[in-house]
Amino acid sequence: MQVRAEDLSDLSLGAVFLATGGGGDPYVPEMICREALKKHGPVDLVAPDDLPDDAYVVSIGGVGAPTVSLEMLPSVDEATRTLEAFEAHVGRKIDAVVSFEIGGGNSLIPIMAAAGRGVPVVDGDGMGRALPEAQMMTYAIAGVCPSPAVAYDYAGNVTTFTTPDTPTYERHIRSLAMASGGMITTAEHPMTGAELKPAIIPGTVGFSVTLGRALRENRGRADQLLPVLKDVFASSVYGECRLLYCGKVSDKATRIIGGYDIGEATLTPFSDEGDALTINIKNEYLVARLNGRVVATVPDLIVIVDYETGTPINAERLRYGQRVAVFAVGCPDFFRTERALEAVAPAAFGFDIPYVPLEQIEV
Amino acid sequence: MRIGIDVGGTHTDAVLLDGSDVVASTKALTSADVLTGITNALDTVIADVPQADIEAVMIGTTQFTNAVVERRELSPVAAIRVGLPSGTGLPPMVDWPDDIADALGRHSYMVKGGSLYDGWPLASMDDDQIDAAIADIASKGLKNVAVSAVFSPMNAAPERAVADRVRAAIPDARITCSHTMGRLGLMERENAALLNASLLAFADRVVSAFMEAIRARGLTCPMYVSQNDGTLMNADFVRQFPALTFSSGPTNSLRGACKLTGLTDAIVVDIGGTTSDIGVLEGGFPRESNVVISVGGVRTNFRMPDIMAVGLGGGSIVAADGKTIGPRSVGHRLVTEGMVFGGDTLTPTDLVVAGGHAEIGDKSRLSGLSADVVAAGNATIHQMLDDAIDMMKPNADPVPVILVGGGAVLVSGDLKAASVLHRPENAGVANAIGAAIAQIGGESERLVSYSTLPRDAAIEKVKAEAIERAIDAGADPGTIRVADIEETAIPYMDEGNTRVRVKVIGDIAALAKKEAN
Repeated sequence: MQVRAEDLSDLSLGAVFLATGGGGDPYVPEMICREALKKHGPVDLVAPDDLPDDAYVVSIGGVGAPTVSLEMLPSVDEATRTLEAFEAHVGRKIDAVVSFEIGGGNSLIPIMAAAGRGVPVVDGDGMGRALPEAQMMTYAIAGVCPSPAVAYDYAGNVTTFTTPDTPTYERHIRSLAMASGGMITTAEHPMTGAELKPAIIPGTVGFSVTLGRALRENRGRADQLLPVLKDVFASSVYGECRLLYCGKVSDKATRIIGGYDIGEATLTPFSDEGDALTINIKNEYLVARLNGRVVATVPDLIVIVDYETGTPINAERLRYGQRVAVFAVGCPDFFRTERALEAVAPAAFGFDIPYVPLEQIEV
Repeated sequence: MRIGIDVGGTHTDAVLLDGSDVVASTKALTSADVLTGITNALDTVIADVPQADIEAVMIGTTQFTNAVVERRELSPVAAIRVGLPSGTGLPPMVDWPDDIADALGRHSYMVKGGSLYDGWPLASMDDDQIDAAIADIASKGLKNVAVSAVFSPMNAAPERAVADRVRAAIPDARITCSHTMGRLGLMERENAALLNASLLAFADRVVSAFMEAIRARGLTCPMYVSQNDGTLMNADFVRQFPALTFSSGPTNSLRGACKLTGLTDAIVVDIGGTTSDIGVLEGGFPRESNVVISVGGVRTNFRMPDIMAVGLGGGSIVAADGKTIGPRSVGHRLVTEGMVFGGDTLTPTDLVVAGGHAEIGDKSRLSGLSADVVAAGNATIHQMLDDAIDMMKPNADPVPVILVGGGAVLVSGDLKAASVLHRPENAGVANAIGAAIAQIGGESERLVSYSTLPRDAAIEKVKAEAIERAIDAGADPGTIRVADIEETAIPYMDEGNTRVRVKVIGDIAALAKKEAN
């Protein structure tokens, strides 16, 4: 299987859905990726199980404030240069690249890197969605060491990291991103094929294309979209898909705390009669409560779409008065182990509520 | 007294306003040369008034939008972007449709420089590199230049430095710097500057023609042109910023509806021949769209009103059972193809006449229509508008609805979404009234850090820039007031990094002086 320039708009639409409100505007990454694929040709997608155990793979993506990229554009070859800097640092060639986050623009960065470097992209990622911190990645949860790692910025400055634990690494790359104009590209969490196989959410790149195509071909009211989405998710690593709510955004208040967009949105029915849905936001949509009762939480996916078209709405763009629908999707099984939940359950985001898998919550 | 003129694709409307009173109005077809239509409209409204009583003429025009959409009258432009090494491989116009990129000539230059979000230099500027670009531009004989730089809304110095060098080398160059055009979002702001630069020569011709038409009628008063946020530009300003007229038509219609009813918070439904355009008045001004707006296929971040267009107008085609209407329309052929006009296409206009709600054309031609179809059709009209208004309402509270435009007659009953329904007199020329009553505005936006500059001081600074722009555009300094302050925190960055936008509005300086005398 390959990723071609003509797959990018579907891939990016699917990735925005999986971004659960985070991940930034995909317009610029999509445009750069298209330029890279036009220049270098399509990229091969390799299933994790088809990777040799001794293959050397590195994960790659952008770190920082995606909003900055709307003003200070990345360069077309920045991701490729990042890989080359990584190879120079470790003194060996890599066999494949992998995404650390399928949600949003970070789904496309490994593809541009692979195109320029002539290596395949592993079909899968380290989140299956978007999440705000590196230690929430499956690679980190599975015990992969974040370094050796390199960061590359707009000017070609290269910074290398030797850091044994991911939370410390996360803290360092955030500071570097701020000092480098707000956005950097990192190659990190290198793995062998054997290490990668149990540490990845498999199939999410190909799945994003399928999901994006389904959203495009069935563009329309959310209630009509539901059966299509149920089918698409049922045959994936995700599983359950529910339409939680349809209504208007009657309140949205977020503010920046510690670099994160934190706050709450309230939705009320179109008719104004009935229960309100509140959604807690920390870059992504994290907890949904119907009249106070929890109906979905992270790591399950909570996605807000435009009611009329099914187009996903980023948390930054969610505003008062919009008519929306809210979907919830069960997360991949990887996140439902005790060890993973320590990193990604509601408690990891400061919510004093237990994680109950979506399928076990009464409709 | 003031004259407002609205030059649309189909009609040229004019009104003569004495204070708030409409003294005279006219609606005529837009002439192929545009100017004859304006002259005729002027003649009609000033027929009974001494020229000396006319204090100002305000013109709203779609000519510049149409030039971009139709790829006419566009001059070749050189684009210089100051931003390397960032954005390597993504030159200006990279995502433009081919036909309009070709119309501008694809002359892109990228040089080192610009700023980071916190003001740190992105790269030092290289005069030799800049001069090489300018030499190439000069050798191609290009006279229109758009200059953009990374984070120029926060630090305009790199754009100004390049513009100065261009001006020194090519003295008759016409230059648009992106920081004068818009907000954060490099490509969208740069696109706006490019479109603007490509319209500068046309703007000269249009403004000169307007002035000539007005002077030829013996009027010596100043002339203004409407811009997309419902404020005015003087003639010199239009010559520099023609692209700011984009989308001024719907804005004028909303502002006119505000004036006609005295309502500052309402939904305005402008029903034409093909669509119903629904907009929202908030505090007397149009609610602005916060999404990227495409003009002729080019992404821009102009300030545009948030308008929802529904495929329902007087000439929309009605299905045989009356349950589906539009989006296809007979448009201006309504007067020959509509059933009451002797044609055989069923339109909403026929439904309204058949229902006994209006007298248009020859009702006897509708005798074959079943009462069921007429009832179903009229119900569909109201349902379509109700649904659309409900979507645009800012909250669940009932909201007043103002009907304007020639198709307002289609609404024969109540709209459930409306607390009250207004059908102002002179609603057919709301656009021209909106143009006539406009004031002068100024806007500024910056990304500021409240941790280095306290919030009050930061807002004061942005406000001062907005006021300076309003005065440049012809506002009376004594009357300027803040219309809107918008603060948006930037995610993934340090606390206190906030995008601040301030909009100010004031009376026209030239008129204020006159009143003082």
